[in-house]
Amino acid sequence: MSESNCAPLVAQGLWHTYEEHSALRGVDFTVEAGSVLGLIGRNGAGKSTLIRALLGLLVPSSGCALVLGEPALRLTDRIKERIAYVPQQPEAFPWLTATQMFAFVGRFFPRWDDAFVRATLSRWDVPTGRPLAKLSPGERQRVELIRALACRPDVLVLDEPAAALDPVARRDLLREVALRAGEDGCTVLFSTHIVSDLERVASQIALLHAGRLLLHCALDDTKERYARLWLPPRHAAAAPDAALSRRAHSDGSLTLVVGRGARGDWPPAVQLDGARLDALGLEDLFVEIAA
Amino acid sequence: MLNIQPSAPEPIYRQILEQLRRLIAAGQFAEGERLPSVREVAVTHAVNPMTVSRAYSLAEAEGLLERLRGKGMVVAAQSARTRSQSERLALLELPLQALSRQVQELELPAELVLRRLGKLLGE
Repeated sequence: MSESNCAPLVAQGLWHTYEEHSALRGVDFTVEAGSVLGLIGRNGAGKSTLIRALLGLLVPSSGCALVLGEPALRLTDRIKERIAYVPQQPEAFPWLTATQMFAFVGRFFPRWDDAFVRATLSRWDVPTGRPLAKLSPGERQRVELIRALACRPDVLVLDEPAAALDPVARRDLLREVALRAGEDGCTVLFSTHIVSDLERVASQIALLHAGRLLLHCALDDTKERYARLWLPPRHAAAAPDAALSRRAHSDGSLTLVVGRGARGDWPPAVQLDGARLDALGLEDLFVEIAA
Repeated sequence: MLNIQPSAPEPIYRQILEQLRRLIAAGQFAEGERLPSVREVAVTHAVNPMTVSRAYSLAEAEGLLERLRGKGMVVAAQSARTRSQSERLALLELPLQALSRQVQELELPAELVLRRLGKLLGE
């Protein structure tokens, strides 16, 4: 088996269609061990479908996914116990209370961290005495985040985890994700449309738009290799072809997202008289590309 | 002590590196002084330890920091105050570029901005 096939998460030509609608249109990527991949995209971009296909929770129309070297659709228990996943709307064990659920689930995970569960339950203000079905969606997701982290997984997949958390809990989660990846070598895939959360902890960024991966690179590269170029109307024709996005304004001027070439140089158009090159934060880059 | 702004266009490792350069050049870190560990910075700012580690390694390669066994990263001997004036000026390159961009955007005459800057510097 080649080295890339042993990577924690691999997508190979994933396509998926719901009735008439194509949610994924050929996604290929590999998440390296110990990295924190931030999956960003607008609502409906296909993030949740991609995550479910990656973990073998849906059968893609074509293509395949591998988790820790095994086909996602035929994972063995040995691999499953090394993965933790928190969906956007958790539904498991509605009749159990959080305490009962942790006691039950913990038995299946050799590295279950009970001390973490107890410390985080009070810090994140989770009701432990009511059945999970009676909790609010936010409380339910906090329970699931605690469960996922307590397994001490090798692969942690979180689908839009930030919405359920207040700023203190959110910061706790980001800190936990950063340390798990940076110190324990845990691989994290984290989908969100709140890009500022990712900027703290992500090492890699993947931008999914209308079912296609438009960008997959190191987070630092998004800031150092890409910039916004504005060209006045008289130079609009000189715009470089290889732009990531292109927006024409009513006055004939043009805004583009351009990247550095192989030798680190910007396209020649940046030197034109009146052209302006601006650094881009991740959110700006996201908006320019996905708007 | 470090000020990290995750949403700034500058990557976080670069923000840390620039601040280390400035703080050390300004003598705010004494020779041999221990820096917070990678873990401490990562926990305080909820950032990826690998990002902090990258900044520290670059600062070490520049001779600003030294890795001491059992002590972690310390400010290297003779790293700071021996810098020439032009080297210290070079540390202002990024903030100056950002400032000049904003001056152009606001269409302010350079003279006016320079006069204000002179006042701030106590001239």
